[in-house]
Amino acid sequence: MMKNDRREFIRKAGMGLLAGMGAASGLLTGGGFERTTSAAWAAVPGEEGLRWGMLFDTRRCPEGCTLCIESCHHTHNVPDIASLEGKIEWMHKENGRELLGSLCASTAAVPALCNHCAEPSCARACPTGSIFRRTDGIVAIDYHRCVGCRSCMQSCPYGEVSFNWSDPRAALKNPTVEYPTRQRGVVEKCNFCSDRLVRGKKPSCVEACPEGAISFGNLNDPSSEIRRLLESSETLQRKPELGTRPSVFYII
Amino acid sequence: MRKRHILFIGLLAALLMALLFSFHAGTEGEAPASQAAQAAAVDSSSCVYPKEYMHTHHMQVLEDWKNTAAHEGPDAVHETADGRKLQKNLSTCLACHGSNRYFCFSCHAYANAQPNCWNCHISPLETP
Repeated sequence: MMKNDRREFIRKAGMGLLAGMGAASGLLTGGGFERTTSAAWAAVPGEEGLRWGMLFDTRRCPEGCTLCIESCHHTHNVPDIASLEGKIEWMHKENGRELLGSLCASTAAVPALCNHCAEPSCARACPTGSIFRRTDGIVAIDYHRCVGCRSCMQSCPYGEVSFNWSDPRAALKNPTVEYPTRQRGVVEKCNFCSDRLVRGKKPSCVEACPEGAISFGNLNDPSSEIRRLLESSETLQRKPELGTRPSVFYII
Repeated sequence: MRKRHILFIGLLAALLMALLFSFHAGTEGEAPASQAAQAAAVDSSSCVYPKEYMHTHHMQVLEDWKNTAAHEGPDAVHETADGRKLQKNLSTCLACHGSNRYFCFSCHAYANAQPNCWNCHISPLETP
């Protein structure tokens, strides 16, 4: 009788502990440590105005589809280099769990590109000021000024900057005449299609997506489509805990 | 009988709410046209500066554009003396001068000037 009571006590206490731990972990991580809150897109005083942002609805992103990447790389003359070190990517697809952390339920491939952070660590690291944040929130590179030191590559927590180890022209089969190429010894990354925005067009990945999974707009405009989506859905950012304030969001 | 009515009203309300939500989710596709950086209308009826000035100083003009354009971003607009606005971009020049494929090269070859523009920018000679 005594033995049974003890066993019962341990069993119940153990179950209670497990339940408590479950609830605590649910409350602590589920409470939104990594999940995006309005602070992620709300304008900081003094930087109101235009801030371009992008939102991927990964539920609509088909497995194995790379149309956005192909269109991006074609319009911006990104060379197709097979070797792992020499690879140049403005946009790519990665395992969602690796990209977005444990809150991402699926391990399906998710598109990734430069996050155009509001606090870009690459711009802080650049010794020549050739990578900088523009007034519209786009983190741009002045290829004329880049000396190829690769400080930005080291400081970018997302690994979204590529370096031209070889002449990219040699690896370009069908270049787009309207956009320049790069030369050996400079870094490059996504420019949020600033070349297309200036002509009133949307980014090429947004236009290329057959599912309409990519939204693009002004994060500081409460009536923009991207803001409506951000306010109405649960979204994730890449490594928000670092404080870089990325402008790229994901719906899982 | 009354209870059934109430049940139906509840069901109807649930259905309406579901519909509302589905419509809400459906509005994502159509986005307002991007309020893009106000592009300067390409007005290239005549050159940025008078022809004579450009003969001697086009390199300074291009050097200035090269140094400032990327950093000014959406505001990289050159305003000419007569009030026309032009995008600070080599393609602004090539919009007119690209029609003659040898426009840059005939002089540069004669003067043995070797600017590095075409390391990255695709020259009219390379276009088919």
